[in-house]
Amino acid sequence: MTQTTAGALAGLLIVETAERPAGEYTGKLLADLGAQVIKVECPKGAPTRHMGPYHKGESTLFAYLNTNKQSVALDLEDTGEQALLDRLLARAHGLVDDHSEAWTQRSGLSPGHVARRHPHLVHTIVTPFGQGAPRDLQVLRSVNVINAGGWGYHSPSEAPPDKPPLKGAGRFLPDYEAGIDAAMATMASLLRLRRCGKGQFIDISEVEVQLNRADAVLGRMLAGEADPSAARTAYDMGGPGTSFACIDGHVFLFMTTSLHWKALCGLMGDPDWSRNFRQDWLEFDCTPANVAAFRQNFASWIALRHKHAVTVAAQKAGVAMVPINTAADLPVHEQFVHRAFFQPADHPTFGPVAYPGACYRMSATPAGVRAPAPALGADQGELSA
Amino acid sequence: MTRRPPPALFDQTSSELPDRGGPLKGVRVVELTKVWAGPYAGKMLAHLGAEVIKIESRSNLDEMRAYGGVDIDAAPYFLSINQEILSAQINLKTAEGLDLLKSLLTGADIFIDNIRPGALERSGLDYDSLKRIKPDLIQCSIKMWGSEGPLGYQTGYAPCFAALSGLTALVGHDGEAPKGMNIRYGDSTAGALAALACIAALHHRESTGEGQFIDLSAVEAMTSLVGDSLFAANVTGVVPQADGNRHPDMCPHGAYPCADQGWTSIAIANEAEWQALCTVLRAQPLAADERFSSLAARLANRTALEAEIAARTISHDAAELAEKLRKAGVAAYPCMSSLDLTTNAFLWQREAFRMVSDDNAGSRPVIGPSWRMNPDPPLLNNGAPRLGEHNAHVFRTIMGLREDEMNDLIARKVID
Repeated sequence: MTQTTAGALAGLLIVETAERPAGEYTGKLLADLGAQVIKVECPKGAPTRHMGPYHKGESTLFAYLNTNKQSVALDLEDTGEQALLDRLLARAHGLVDDHSEAWTQRSGLSPGHVARRHPHLVHTIVTPFGQGAPRDLQVLRSVNVINAGGWGYHSPSEAPPDKPPLKGAGRFLPDYEAGIDAAMATMASLLRLRRCGKGQFIDISEVEVQLNRADAVLGRMLAGEADPSAARTAYDMGGPGTSFACIDGHVFLFMTTSLHWKALCGLMGDPDWSRNFRQDWLEFDCTPANVAAFRQNFASWIALRHKHAVTVAAQKAGVAMVPINTAADLPVHEQFVHRAFFQPADHPTFGPVAYPGACYRMSATPAGVRAPAPALGADQGELSA
Repeated sequence: MTRRPPPALFDQTSSELPDRGGPLKGVRVVELTKVWAGPYAGKMLAHLGAEVIKIESRSNLDEMRAYGGVDIDAAPYFLSINQEILSAQINLKTAEGLDLLKSLLTGADIFIDNIRPGALERSGLDYDSLKRIKPDLIQCSIKMWGSEGPLGYQTGYAPCFAALSGLTALVGHDGEAPKGMNIRYGDSTAGALAALACIAALHHRESTGEGQFIDLSAVEAMTSLVGDSLFAANVTGVVPQADGNRHPDMCPHGAYPCADQGWTSIAIANEAEWQALCTVLRAQPLAADERFSSLAARLANRTALEAEIAARTISHDAAELAEKLRKAGVAAYPCMSSLDLTTNAFLWQREAFRMVSDDNAGSRPVIGPSWRMNPDPPLLNNGAPRLGEHNAHVFRTIMGLREDEMNDLIARKVID
C-alpha cells in the first residue's frame, strides 16, 4: 500500500454494522480519510462479500467498499454477542448502520437504546426513506430509491415515453450519493463530539439525498416557478446537447450560446448546412425542428471523427465537446494520471490493482488506501481490547 | 486593512444573527462561488450549522441571480439553492476590496471557490498567499479538472464532467449510445463532496492546528460514483458498458410500464419474490415457465421476460401496483415524476420539503437536507439572501468597521 500519511480523521474509532453499499460506502469514505473503522459482520460474512463481480473467488465489490477497514464477526441476534459489541461501542466515537428499524430493534441497536447506553456516540443510520417510514419502504433497493427520488424518471435527458427510466450508472448510484451525505453529517457531528463531548443521532434518508441533489430544478417546481408535470423531460434544459457516436466511441456536445455555435461552425469548417441556422438560433430559435436538423447534420460530421482528436480541437476552439470516456480510457488519461486518481497497490488475492481514489486532493492529509479490505474476523482481538 | 475587534458599545440589533445550533456551529465559511457546485457546497455546510458568507458584487454576480427572472433578489434558481447563506458585497476588482476579503479571511475557518482556473492566483487569493495571512486556513477549490495539471486550464458544464468521468458511458438504454444521467446531474454531487472534504480538514485542524488546501476535481467527483465498476474493470479486465436496468444478481430488475404512462420500479432478488410477483400480476404461467425458473434462466431469457412482465404491468396504476407488490414482499416503488414528488404527502410530512422565509412571498418551500439530527439539530429557517443582506453583520459585527467607514466603502463602490 502506498498511503502512509496519517489521515484527517486519525484518532477516531467508528464501528460499522452496516451491510449494504450505502452504509459500507459511508464507512469507506471515513476509513479512507483516516478513521479506524471496525466492520461488524455476521458469522457468514457481509452480504457484499457474496456479490460479484468475482476474481479468484473473491468479490471485487467487497474489496472496493471496505478498504482500510478492520473486521470482526458477531452474531448480533445473540444477546451475548450483543454485549461484546456494546463493549466496543463504549470506546468508539461513531456507529454507522443501514438496517431497517426491525433489525435495529432485534439487535439492540435502536436509536433510543444506543443513545441511552452510549450518550457520547455519534450514531448514524442510512435507510431508503429515513426513520419512521412504513416498514415496507425500509427494505427497498437501489433501483427503487433512484426512482423514488426522481432521477430515474428523468434519466436520460429526452427520455422517450416508451423507454424505461434508468437505474443510473452501475448498481449503486443512490447508495454512493447517500454515503456522501451520511459521511458528511457524521463527520460534522464528530466535530461537535470533540468540542462538547456529546453524541447525536443522525437519520439519513437515501431518497431525500436524491431530492436534495435536484434542488435547483425540483426546488423551482416546489415554489411554483416552474411547472411540475408527468413529463419525462421535466428536468431537461432543451437545446441540442447530447451524446453522438464517432469512429471510436462517443462524444458529448454541450451548446447553449451563439458563441458556442460560432466556435462549432469554425471547428467544422463552416459547412453549407450550418448557414441554414441563424447565428443566434441557440438563444432565440432553438425549436425542436432546428435541434433535429442540427443533430442530423452534426451526427454525419462527427461520425467520421476520432473522439480524442476532435475533442482536443474542440476545446481549443471554445466548443464544449468532450469524449465520453470509458473505464478503459481513465487509467491512461493524462489528467487522471497527473492527479494520481488511481492508486496502485498490491491486493493479497488479486495481486497488483489500482484503486479509484477520492476527488479531493488534500495537501496535508491525502485520502487513500492504506490497507486492503479485511478477511472476515481478521480483527477479532479488537473485541477484547 | 487590519482586522479590529468589534467596538464594545455598538448597536448590533440590525446585524446580530440568531444562534442556529447544529454540529458546525461556530465554523465560519467564506465562499466565492457561482452557479451550482460551489453554492451547493456552501449550502451543505450552512445546513449543518456553519456560518457561510457568500461574497458577491453588482459587477460580479452569481449567474444564478440572473437566471429565470429580472430581480436579482428573487431569482428562482438562486432561491432554490442558497438557504441560510449570508450575502456580503465586496467588489474584488478593487485593491481595497481584495484587502477587505483578505481581512475577512483572517477570521474564517474555510474558504471555498469554484471560479475560473487561474482567477484566484491573479487576485492573490491562492492558498500559498492566503496561508501567509491565515496559517490554519482550510481552502477548497472546485474546478472541472482540479486546480492544475495538463488539463487544469479547461472549464466545462456538469454533463461534460459526467461524460469525462466514466459515469455517462455506463448509463443508457440497451443497444443505444450512452446518454448518461439527466443533463442536470453532477454539480450538486461535486459540491457535496467539497463540503465533506472541508469537514474532514476541520478534524485535522482540530487535532493538529494545521490547515490545508483541498483541490477538488468535479470530473473525479463523478468518477468516484462508479468506483466499484472501475475497480472491477481493473481487476477482471472486463470493461463495463451502459447496461440499461440490468443487474447481475436480480431479475426482473428495472422499471416497468403502467397505465397513464406511469412506471414502477421492481427488483426481484430470490425465488420467493419471483413467485410473489407472478401472484400479484396473476401470471401463474410465468411462474411455471422453465425459461424463468431460476435467476440464471431469467437472466438468460431477460428480453422475453421483460416483455412478459411489461405486458402484465401496463394495465395497473403505478402507485397501486407498487403498494400491492410491497405488501406481497416485493421491492417496488413508482418511478416518481416531478408532479408525483411535489405533491407527495409523505415527503411533506417528513419535512423533506419545508418552508423558509422569503422576502416577497413571506415563505417559500424548499428541499430540506437529507439528515435529521437529535439532539441539537441545526435550524433552517432563512431563505436565500438578498444581495448584500448581511453587509452590516459581516463588515460591522464581524470585522468591526465603524458605520462611517462602511458608508465610505459603499460610496466608493468597494462595498458594491
